[in-house]
Amino acid sequence: MADFVQLVILGLLAGGVYVAVGVGFGLVWGVLNIVNLAHGSLVIVGGYLTWQLFTTLHLDPFLTLPVDAVALFVFGYALQRGVINRIIRAPLLFTFLLTFGLNLIVVNMLLLIFGSDFRSVTPSYSGQGLELGSIVIPYVRLISLGVAIALSASLAFVLNRTRTGLAINAIAADRDAAQLVGIDLRHAYAVTYGLGAACAGVAGGLIAMIQAITPTAGEPYTLQAFVVVILGGLGRVSATVVGGLAFGLVEAFGQSIPGSGSVFANAIAFSLMVLVLVTRPQGLLGRLR
Amino acid sequence: MGVMTVRRWAMLAMAVVAVVACGGSESGGNTTGSTITLGAPLGLTGSLTKESTLTQQGYNLWLDWINARGGIVVNGVKHPVKIKYYDDTSSANQSAVLMQKLITEDKANFLLGPYGSAATATDAAIAEQNQIPMVEANGAAQSIFNQGYKYTFGVLSPANKYLQGVIDMAATLNPKPTTIAMLSADDNFSLEVANAINTYAPTKGMNVVLFKKYKNGATNLAAEVQAAKAVNPDIVLNSGHLTEAIAINKAAKEQKLNAKIFAYSVGPSTPDFITALGADANFVYDGSQWTPQVKYTPAFYLTVAQYVAAYKAKYPSLGDPDYHVAESTAACLALERAIENAGSLDPKKVRDALAALDVTVFFGQIKFDSRGINIYKPMVVEQIQSGVHHTVFPADVADAQPMYPTPAWDQR
Repeated sequence: MADFVQLVILGLLAGGVYVAVGVGFGLVWGVLNIVNLAHGSLVIVGGYLTWQLFTTLHLDPFLTLPVDAVALFVFGYALQRGVINRIIRAPLLFTFLLTFGLNLIVVNMLLLIFGSDFRSVTPSYSGQGLELGSIVIPYVRLISLGVAIALSASLAFVLNRTRTGLAINAIAADRDAAQLVGIDLRHAYAVTYGLGAACAGVAGGLIAMIQAITPTAGEPYTLQAFVVVILGGLGRVSATVVGGLAFGLVEAFGQSIPGSGSVFANAIAFSLMVLVLVTRPQGLLGRLR
Repeated sequence: MGVMTVRRWAMLAMAVVAVVACGGSESGGNTTGSTITLGAPLGLTGSLTKESTLTQQGYNLWLDWINARGGIVVNGVKHPVKIKYYDDTSSANQSAVLMQKLITEDKANFLLGPYGSAATATDAAIAEQNQIPMVEANGAAQSIFNQGYKYTFGVLSPANKYLQGVIDMAATLNPKPTTIAMLSADDNFSLEVANAINTYAPTKGMNVVLFKKYKNGATNLAAEVQAAKAVNPDIVLNSGHLTEAIAINKAAKEQKLNAKIFAYSVGPSTPDFITALGADANFVYDGSQWTPQVKYTPAFYLTVAQYVAAYKAKYPSLGDPDYHVAESTAACLALERAIENAGSLDPKKVRDALAALDVTVFFGQIKFDSRGINIYKPMVVEQIQSGVHHTVFPADVADAQPMYPTPAWDQR
């Protein structure tokens, strides 16, 4: 029983990271209709920012998260405004090509700047945890889950309660109509991508504390974000939260299957994704569009 | 008369040939022959960048040394050496494509291996097809050498030896550990390492009570560590790579998995393991191909101490060379000595000289079995003690005692 509870807790905590990675990816996909293959590389840029601030300025890694968010927002805004906007109405293949290329450029820039060494942010409280009987809850992962939920909540707030957010929602609903009522499309696109990148940056900061990062460590996260967003459903932040936590749980239980656990974990996650696509194409909590 | 003239001419021609030939060998060491081109595809970008860079450092260390001496001496003629590198983006398929390009377009005389068992396996097939010898230092999976290839030679100890040293060491410790939790990545190399322990541990009175495979490159191993914790093992073994070794060590601390020995096949020997984990890296063991503390008497090239010094001079700020660097240099040394022994640049003759090679260098004995892998050099066991690598087993090359048992996480 204690093992079961521990596994649920570990799954949910791991899910926190997937939530953080997924929300930005889902936003960009839902509004801009871009499957952003560069998302994982933006995550790792955030990871390196946190690492740099932690090692040179000795800032607490959680305090560096706002810096990651702002820096990545600016970077993402410029990227969308300067580059991606040019192909925003082109067929899907072009957005794949472009974001794939951007991913290569960002990864190799990181390789040039930081080299291929493994880096990890290890604050003094790393590895400490709350012990309830035989159940352990690691602090860093617990706070990370909290940050991921808070990040999702603030993103939902921005999208549903602010003028910019409503403009973004309007574009997601109908971009031509949005343009007709006077929304500056290019600016709104760039803000959307910037917000997505900011979420990626925060996720990266969390990941740098949880695992060791290298410039190429982001690639699996792009794939995981894809699965998480499909599981939860496109177009709602809360759906991604559910998708991320579900993915974390599935992974934890899949891995605990005796023998070759994690091989099954991926198979189960992807089967679940296919099942969702077949039975509920809008995702567990998504809206039909 | 006509016949006489022909004879005279023939005599004269022979005399000229003889003089030229003698002259050639007399001034031997000073003449410069054609440049020998070696080809090596390496993952200079992509997921294996770190290890591939270490491999390249090992190759380049030897390259500087041999060219400073004028090159490889073949029958008294010095041939300068050039290494042509390509970036295979850490893809085994791409590595094979580039290996072929090195042979056909760049006219590489001989081949040096890529990084990793996967790429080495695909490249070995290319070397075989073209009958060009490849000496490799970073592919330890025995599956590479069980194909009947004649042109691939690995200077490193094969995969099945990687963690056996840890078991041998454990058998000498008091209280003797008896139960093992074995975690393994699902690639060929890691599974060979892990499966060898399954059969080897019982011969030393130990039992593998948990055997769990995970996906190669996994960064979230919380559930695996939880499964290990459930069986409360004396020894936690991981057969994987640096990424997974770091992930397991982090999860072990977070989830309070305590054991007398934590030993990981690949990872702890690289400096990154210590920088990424800080004090949490202490007490971890690994099986290593080589350490800067080993004591071998080299037949040529540098001693261990000179080698470490040469590395630090060329790459200041990187600390001691790790075994990836050393084994890569050793591959070059094996090739160099084989070319010298063959007295020829003919690929077939150099292959035969490699097959017959038996020489000890700073890396240890280099000698290949009939499959082309070096089963003669022992693995050593390292332990990280107070942030520093120490060789702790076998006793005759060790510079420290194992710190045993590993204290519980909350008592460090």
